[in-house]
Amino acid sequence: MTPVQILFILVAAVTLGAALMVVNARNLVHAALWLIVSFGGVAVFYAMLNAGFLAVAQVVIYIGAIAILMIFAIMMTRNVAGDSSPRFNSSQIIGLVLALALFAGLVWMTLSWSGATTTPMPLDSRADPISQLGSALVSPDGYVLAFELASILLLGALVGALMIAWDRK
Amino acid sequence: MNLSNASASLNAILPLVVVILWACALLLVDLFITKERKGLTALLAAIGMLASLIITLARLDLEAVVFNGMVTVDGFSNFLTVLFLGSGIVAVALSYDYLKRMGLEKGEYYVLLLFTVSGMMLMAVASDLIVVFLALELLSIPLYVLAGIATPRLDSEESSLKYFLLGSFSTGIVVYGIALVFGATGTTSLAGIVDAITAGSAGMGLLVAGAAMLLIGLGFKVALVPFHMWTPDVYQGAPSSVTAFMAIGAKAAGFAAILRIFIQAFPALSVDLTPVLWVLAALTMILGNVVAIAQRNIKRLLAYSSIANAGYILLALVPYGQSDVAADSVASALFYLLAYAFTSFTAWSVVIALEQVEGKGLELEDYAGLSRRYPILALTMTVAMLSFTGVPPTLGFLGKFYVFRTLLEGGFPGLAVIGVVTSLISAYYYLRVVVYMYMREGEPQAIRDPWLYIAATASAICLVVLGIFSQPLFAWASQAMLH
Repeated sequence: MTPVQILFILVAAVTLGAALMVVNARNLVHAALWLIVSFGGVAVFYAMLNAGFLAVAQVVIYIGAIAILMIFAIMMTRNVAGDSSPRFNSSQIIGLVLALALFAGLVWMTLSWSGATTTPMPLDSRADPISQLGSALVSPDGYVLAFELASILLLGALVGALMIAWDRK
Repeated sequence: MNLSNASASLNAILPLVVVILWACALLLVDLFITKERKGLTALLAAIGMLASLIITLARLDLEAVVFNGMVTVDGFSNFLTVLFLGSGIVAVALSYDYLKRMGLEKGEYYVLLLFTVSGMMLMAVASDLIVVFLALELLSIPLYVLAGIATPRLDSEESSLKYFLLGSFSTGIVVYGIALVFGATGTTSLAGIVDAITAGSAGMGLLVAGAAMLLIGLGFKVALVPFHMWTPDVYQGAPSSVTAFMAIGAKAAGFAAILRIFIQAFPALSVDLTPVLWVLAALTMILGNVVAIAQRNIKRLLAYSSIANAGYILLALVPYGQSDVAADSVASALFYLLAYAFTSFTAWSVVIALEQVEGKGLELEDYAGLSRRYPILALTMTVAMLSFTGVPPTLGFLGKFYVFRTLLEGGFPGLAVIGVVTSLISAYYYLRVVVYMYMREGEPQAIRDPWLYIAATASAICLVVLGIFSQPLFAWASQAMLH
């Protein structure tokens, strides 16, 4: 096995394990934190596939925005963090069968697609969308003003949301 | 671009940068100010805006196009920046004692006020639709929160939720309009849109649809009929100090965007848009003034009055497509906004002085007999009502005069007649307040807060004195050209 393959197996195990913990965790905050680990694993896959832009987008959007937003929502709505209801209900067998059928279907579909077995074309090494995107965002000729203003806007919205939702009593 | 260019760009928007940095710093400083001494936060917020105001006043003739054409600093933006910062400072003066009395004192109030003022200042300089959108959000989101600051009072929560829902809806329409304009011209910069139209590469159908969407979305913000439904409930439910600021700042910022976008980017579309503006202005003046007659609650009355005033400001924009009248359009709209700001602040500070806890003291009956117990308050309120009506020599009269003159220059005598007739109708409900104050018996209750009295009397004096010596002011507004 090559080192890349070992790395792949390790990351896959972490990603799947974290995803399992998301549905198994009793505490909603813990579930949200496991979700971040799982998102991070997917970002590593993108990076290993040379899809640098997707990796960055995964980190920025899924971990940076969505996960943090979920944690905020959980923190600001009280009394739902601990869930004491049973974790399995009566339809667990049907659920398992359906999940396995779906998984088998997806595997069959992927294997029967011709693109899954051919070697892909190498990427054009000159194209570097991330650095182009980065310099467009922070160059004074580009969108630095809009970029900074968006962060001020988010700060104002954050202060406002906390002011309304925070329980002071 | 090198670093010296970047610092020149920042220098051009220095007043804006000062307010934003001051807001962030105040957020931290406020942590160390004890609950009993929140007056210090109010004072610091006012100092920040005063510093920014001094910078703006020190370089009133500054003109610059920076950040790759996204920001244009010109006479128009300098005029409005002064208006926004002045409004912000007066709003702090109105808020301090009111918040203490109503038990709403929170340091974040002033931070959010600074954020919304920075959004308005950004709107004044925005010359790219992306920046227009960001400015719109930056000024709206803190206002949604401020409207609901009296939670768990139900009317304040209702006001905040209604404002938030309709505000987000209208922002969505603005974004849709921006997307259509981008689709038609391939650019979001106002100068680029003009170039695309002149070069003939713009899809005119899409462009008209996009411009109409922008007009609808911004029409919600400035409360034009038929996009005004939220205004009475929001103005009534929000704490009065917030309403006063909202009625002036948000409206002026909305009109700043409408004026700059339409006069700078869309003069070629005036054939299609002028009839629409004509109808909108007429509807807004008629409905605002007629429905105001039925109001007994002073906050609702002023809400409908603010709708009617949006109609008068829009009058100035109707002939915007005629290149020889466009300069007068801008000047008379800016002058009217200034007159409206002074008049509104005078009226709202009297309302705030009379308001009691639990929303008491807001009916017309509560103003009966005000002239005997509080002659100064009654006199300032009278000046404000006369100025709203448009009686000389107040600033309100000159505002209407210049707007009607612009209309006649543009060749719309019919609309000017509608404006004059609705002004006459408005005299009925404005002067009824005066009748209650001077001719009815009553035991009104008002508070004696020095800052409030200073704000009320100073703006009332300005209404009369600037009304008599208005030439320099109008000359300044006339120089406030768009570039």
